[in-house]
Amino acid sequence: MTIRSHGLARQVLPSAALIVMATGLVSALLAPPDRLQGNLQKLMYVHVPAAWLAYAAFLVTLVGSVGWLWRRKQAYDRLAAAAAEVGVFFTGLTLVLGSIWGKPVWGVWWTWDARLVSTALLFFIYIGYLALRRAVPERTDRARRSAVFGILAIAMVPIVHFSVLWWRTLHQPPTVLRPGDPTIDHTMLLVLGINLLGFTLMGLWLLMRRIDMAVDEEALEDATVAQDRELAGAAIEPPHLKGASNSV
Amino acid sequence: MKYRAIVIPVVGVIAVLTGFLLFGNLNQNLVYYLTPTEAVDQRADTNPGQRFRLGGLVEDGSVIRTDNEVRFTLTDSGAAVPVVYAGIPEQLFAPGVGAIVEGAWNGNAFYADTMIIKHDEEYRTPEPDTASAAREVSP
Repeated sequence: MTIRSHGLARQVLPSAALIVMATGLVSALLAPPDRLQGNLQKLMYVHVPAAWLAYAAFLVTLVGSVGWLWRRKQAYDRLAAAAAEVGVFFTGLTLVLGSIWGKPVWGVWWTWDARLVSTALLFFIYIGYLALRRAVPERTDRARRSAVFGILAIAMVPIVHFSVLWWRTLHQPPTVLRPGDPTIDHTMLLVLGINLLGFTLMGLWLLMRRIDMAVDEEALEDATVAQDRELAGAAIEPPHLKGASNSV
Repeated sequence: MKYRAIVIPVVGVIAVLTGFLLFGNLNQNLVYYLTPTEAVDQRADTNPGQRFRLGGLVEDGSVIRTDNEVRFTLTDSGAAVPVVYAGIPEQLFAPGVGAIVEGAWNGNAFYADTMIIKHDEEYRTPEPDTASAAREVSP
């Protein structure tokens, strides 16, 4: 796949991600505090990039899924699967960081508002995607079914994003992704931008490494597992219940 | 075809979800809180002691703190509801911020026992004049 063949990106990406993330961390610590929330607002510099990366990863899963159905190349399936894992991790991180931000500012760790509930649904739906991949042993079947799932599941991303506009929620509406000027001090916006870039590079790196792993896993499977292997559990027989004659 | 076994449930789930999103709000379960205007309008329909969430802006100059309760007024553009909150308010509670309280009507006031602060999507640095004002107040 294209990502695997880019040797330069492979060498530069890890150090670039670490440098930008370190810059982002330092600039977040130096950024001015919010007039109402004070330093608590700095959780934004990790919460928002995590959410953005989750959205972006699920879009990559969509691209991989469509690509597989169109071209039937295994590389697209690997791309979709790797991106879904990255997305699930960062959705979970978004929920945790949001909870940590919510407790001091809102007063609650969790509440049943539309943004929070839809984000949790997004998390569980893509965990379902990963579960589906584990449940289908045959490679082509797995790729086809998870490609369909990967396309359907993307519907959750706009639902999560627009939940704060479609329903009356505790979570505030978008600050940056809105028509007009972002309602944020421009120094803070710059710091947020650095962290967004850092997280994006980190996500790309994780994606690349996960695809490498998938390639190796498939090679290992091809080398060690017979093609006509039995399904897991096929060797288990139902227990014999009549009498004790079969207890050896 | 074998696809039928997949397509029919998927279409069914999508239809149910779409229907829920479009019509599921009829009983207001998706409304996280009522605004003061809605709360006053629907007052006649609410049973005595019926609990709901009320959300609005804390009116400037309305906050009165006593030993075990805080009285303030929640407003929107149309109505103002006096609130009696039993407990210690949240850290960011202040005149002008958004607050969502949960409780019930009692007389003409809304008696609440939980409070959540709703902040807006604006992030600004402290204004120089308020910072200096704060410095003058605190000795």
